[in-house]
Amino acid sequence: MLEAHALAALIEAVLAVAGEAVPLDGLEAAAGDGVGREAVEEAIEIVRQRHEQAGSGLFLERVAGGVRLATRPEHEGALRAFLGYRSKARLSQAALETLAIIAYRQPVTLPEISFVRGVNCAGVVRTLLERKLVIIAGRKQVVGTPLLYRTSKEFLVQFGLSDLAALPTPEEAEQGSDGGADGA
Amino acid sequence: MLPVFEGPLDLLLHLVRENKVSIWDIPIATICDQYHEAIRAMEQLDLELAGEYLVYATWLLVIKSRMLLPRHGEEEKDPRQELVERLLEYEKVKSAAAELGGLFEIRRGVESLRLQAPVASSELELDLEDLDVFALARALRGVMERHEREHPAAMELEPIRYSVRDKIFELYEIIGQQRSFPLLSHLLTRPDRIESVTLLLAALELLRLKVATAHQRAAFAEIYLMPTGAQLPMEGLTDA
Repeated sequence: MLEAHALAALIEAVLAVAGEAVPLDGLEAAAGDGVGREAVEEAIEIVRQRHEQAGSGLFLERVAGGVRLATRPEHEGALRAFLGYRSKARLSQAALETLAIIAYRQPVTLPEISFVRGVNCAGVVRTLLERKLVIIAGRKQVVGTPLLYRTSKEFLVQFGLSDLAALPTPEEAEQGSDGGADGA
Repeated sequence: MLPVFEGPLDLLLHLVRENKVSIWDIPIATICDQYHEAIRAMEQLDLELAGEYLVYATWLLVIKSRMLLPRHGEEEKDPRQELVERLLEYEKVKSAAAELGGLFEIRRGVESLRLQAPVASSELELDLEDLDVFALARALRGVMERHEREHPAAMELEPIRYSVRDKIFELYEIIGQQRSFPLLSHLLTRPDRIESVTLLLAALELLRLKVATAHQRAAFAEIYLMPTGAQLPMEGLTDA
């Protein structure tokens, strides 16, 4: 059984080579026998604090049902300059509205999405599928058996959500959007 | 220039806000007129989008007429109710979209950390940046050398003009007539080196078969070939 700080170091190393969010089960397995969920949680917290206190360019975040080490958002410009790619394409207003409907009402069909927005959303949904933010989740057993859509793991990662329950509630969104929407 | 709207509901919400009226008590006649005016101004609407705006334009007219001419009889619900519900629903979506947009914005630079660890895959990727031009040149030379080893240059073969067998008969005949033949000067005066070599081999063959003997007085002096008197056997002559 490893001491807490040694376990934290081990977990940090695993996260460094993972390249994506690692579920806690995966970390537990990597830590070996005799290391329980509680010890892993404690170690994760140590890693998180270490990076925070050191003023690191990296931070530990809980995202998409797992934990990952990621670059801090303020270095976006530097990363872009170094890696030589253009900024991630913004999401259009249509894309954001469609994504919001899918996120809060999933699984949901295209006619349902279009009804709420008052316009046909086929093109927007296709774009969201291409950007891997939404996925197809089967067919609805009604006339025409339309496809059902839901948000993907990539959606959680890109929006920094640990799971769907972490979505801001509609009430929170309403309060936040008055200042946030126009100010952003 | 009109602001860009996401659709009929977006336009309606905009009109409600601009008129500073309550969404629960929309002055439908005013909003309906302004709505029609707005879509008339949007001349360059594409056909599909125009259809969606027109659906709502028609619906607004229906609501407006119901408001003006309430039906008699039973207590009827407000004809605006469904529209209001849809507008509220859409407004919620707009707020959520704004929230998501904000989340997306602040996370632009967030990338997963990934140190390059050796992959268990058999397909190791070649890092071209680690190659220098000299290593490349060395590799090329190695390939060329191996290629030459495995594909040696073709040998040029002269057509066979002389055969040892022919020369044996030739020499046998000569020594039969001359008794003592100056072999060395004969070899040295041949215009073709191949012929000289063939003649030498033929002479050696004659010696081996004991058909001729050779005499030389000193090193580098003339070599005389003389018959022993033995018959040249027809069998066992080299064919080369």
